[in-house]
Amino acid sequence: MRELTYLEAVREAMSQEMRTNEDVFILGEDIGVYGGAFGVTRGMIEEFGPERIRNTPISEAAISGTAIGAALTGMRPILELQFSDFITIAMDNMVNQAAKLRYMYGGEGKVPMVLRTPAGSGTGAAAQHSQSLEAWMTHIPGLKVVQPSTAYDAKGLLKAAMDDDNPVVFYEHKLCYRTKSEVPEEAYSIPLGKADIKKEGKDVTIVATAMMVHKSLEAAEQLESEGISVEVVDPRTLVPLDEETIVESVKKTGRLIVVHEAVKRGGFGGEIASMIAESEAFDYLDAPIKRLGGKAVPIPYNPELEKAAVPQVQDIVEAVKDTLKGL
Amino acid sequence: MPKEIFMPKLSSTMQVGTLLEWFKEEGETVEVGEPLFEIMTDKINIEVEAYEEGVLLKRYVSEDEEVPVNYVIGYIGEANEAVPDSSPGVSDADAEPADEVKPAGQEENAAPKKQESGEKVRATPAARKVAKDEGLSLLEIEGSGPRGRVQKADVEARGEQGEKVKATPLARKVAAEKGLNLQEVTGTGSNGKIYTADLDTVASANHEASTSEPKRVKLSGTRKMIAKRMAESAFTAPHVTLTSEVDMTASMEVRKQLLPLIEQQTGKRLSYTEIIAKAVAHSLVRHPEINVSLDGDDVVYHEDAHIGIAVSIPGGLVVPVVNRANHKGLGALTEEAKHLATAARAGKLSPDAMRGGTFTISNLGMYAVDVFTPIINQPESAILGVGRIQEKAVGINGQIELRPMMSLSLSFDHRVIDGAPAAAFLTELKQVLENPYQLLT
Repeated sequence: MRELTYLEAVREAMSQEMRTNEDVFILGEDIGVYGGAFGVTRGMIEEFGPERIRNTPISEAAISGTAIGAALTGMRPILELQFSDFITIAMDNMVNQAAKLRYMYGGEGKVPMVLRTPAGSGTGAAAQHSQSLEAWMTHIPGLKVVQPSTAYDAKGLLKAAMDDDNPVVFYEHKLCYRTKSEVPEEAYSIPLGKADIKKEGKDVTIVATAMMVHKSLEAAEQLESEGISVEVVDPRTLVPLDEETIVESVKKTGRLIVVHEAVKRGGFGGEIASMIAESEAFDYLDAPIKRLGGKAVPIPYNPELEKAAVPQVQDIVEAVKDTLKGL
Repeated sequence: MPKEIFMPKLSSTMQVGTLLEWFKEEGETVEVGEPLFEIMTDKINIEVEAYEEGVLLKRYVSEDEEVPVNYVIGYIGEANEAVPDSSPGVSDADAEPADEVKPAGQEENAAPKKQESGEKVRATPAARKVAKDEGLSLLEIEGSGPRGRVQKADVEARGEQGEKVKATPLARKVAAEKGLNLQEVTGTGSNGKIYTADLDTVASANHEASTSEPKRVKLSGTRKMIAKRMAESAFTAPHVTLTSEVDMTASMEVRKQLLPLIEQQTGKRLSYTEIIAKAVAHSLVRHPEINVSLDGDDVVYHEDAHIGIAVSIPGGLVVPVVNRANHKGLGALTEEAKHLATAARAGKLSPDAMRGGTFTISNLGMYAVDVFTPIINQPESAILGVGRIQEKAVGINGQIELRPMMSLSLSFDHRVIDGAPAAAFLTELKQVLENPYQLLT
């Protein structure tokens, strides 16, 4: 099967959807001729024209407000924010409007929109362009939160997000954009709330998100050569969360490490750890649950410090060994 | 900084002490001089007072636990100060290299180790589940995890040691609730599978048995110490016991005459024990081969007679010592012996008061005991057992007369004392008691 980059997979998902559904359009800063901050929409304006690939003023509040209004009228907008950090400017619209309206209208109005945005560190984009703020979004009832790690997942999950009648926040990790995997040509959908076991193993479960899936797989490979068998579970969507797959994996291995790039304190890893402690997997735990996350610092500009601020492969390797020692 | 509380060293020979009782709970405030805990040493119970003020932060040693001298048994400090979860052990500062004694379960670096009963078992949830399913007690399992935490593999290893018990899930659940060990249950199902009904037979058998079971009390404290020391003495020293009957007529007369005098002087009533002690001290000085003790390969000859007088106390027996009894008159001797006996019965004897005896007297004359064979109070080499005074018909100058007769039993250690010198000593003692006025010389 052909391989696509993650970035191409996202573009293909949108293009295929726009060809079949005229209600779908994209809005965002410089997404037209320029092709967006990372080139995701490059070439799309040629096919779909400026009516459907709409450049907007530099106002995330305006972009999100427009998208919500359009969604309420029956359109299915996709808004692109250049960096996920800027979601803070769209916060009132996302938290107080998009997340609530369907509920407040008693189901009479829907907000079928997708907010796509690049997240995470690793590109030297410094403190205001490198954050991972997904845990904020997961706290708000009414928002769905997706974090694909591979090209295949990105295409299928974006299709599902576009088909959803609720607002979905779709985090694309900047470092994942260049990763490749086999992606079918036809449109397909991966249901939201279905985790993927990226690698099977029996000694310890790692639940990792976005770029940390790749780092965990690399760590697992290293550990495998030392005779340690690691299972890597990618939840793919944080809301809804596939608790069952994670619980079953932890029941199998008896040990859990959660790895995400977002700051550990208050991060989504705490939610997964608590969920396991409350679940039937508790009885199977044979070591304390461990969380690996970013340090509680703004992401530094200096490349070495930037690396030090978030978990790296070696950190994951050591965490696995500690967990096997019961530490 | 929290301050360590040590097992105190109350005598030069003390190596271990048993904690009998804590007077303070963790978190309670402690003033300097307040009794903090009670310990038992070789033969003494003593209250130890706090030498720091603050809050009792931690108690590491439970009651009836034996620990070496200078072992850290707790901490005093300010409220909420951090202290180690387990005792740091014997403090380096004062530890004697010879002290190899360590309390049970406190071996350094001894992982994996079994966890003490009573303390909450550290175990992972998985280990708990497997133990419960297998009907195994986590208390019995050595944990290989950090700080002895029991992990699933530890339980599984344990489970494999014994034959895996076949039982229905309900039977396992009921057994766990009733605290029954499935290993001890005979199953009536196929291949010996245990059903819930099988547990009832065991439970009722246990119940029947328990109604007729004698009460069992673990040997501890003073009792344990006495058991140990008596066994040591009886099994190491070859005991020979000589007995002799003493005519106490003259001694009774002496007592009759001196009693009001001594009572006036000291407020204490002169008893036969003191008269006998005085006579023993007098005779020991004349028979230095009896006033000896064995120290390794050395026989130690004592110049003075330090007379131990056995005193029965609730739960045991203690032997306070009247030092240099040969230099003391009956008045002083009475005063001291009575004082020691009172202190012993009140449990307030200092360790010093029980040290250094060279000869012991055990008087059972207040009971209907004529003769008995006392066991030597090591490292002394002889002990005198005293029976009751009873009028007996004795032949005197061809006449049968009723005389107040008393039996003396002298047990001696034949390793260091031979029969003849022991007999000579006993003869002299009898002669002194029958002619007590020579004590006045």
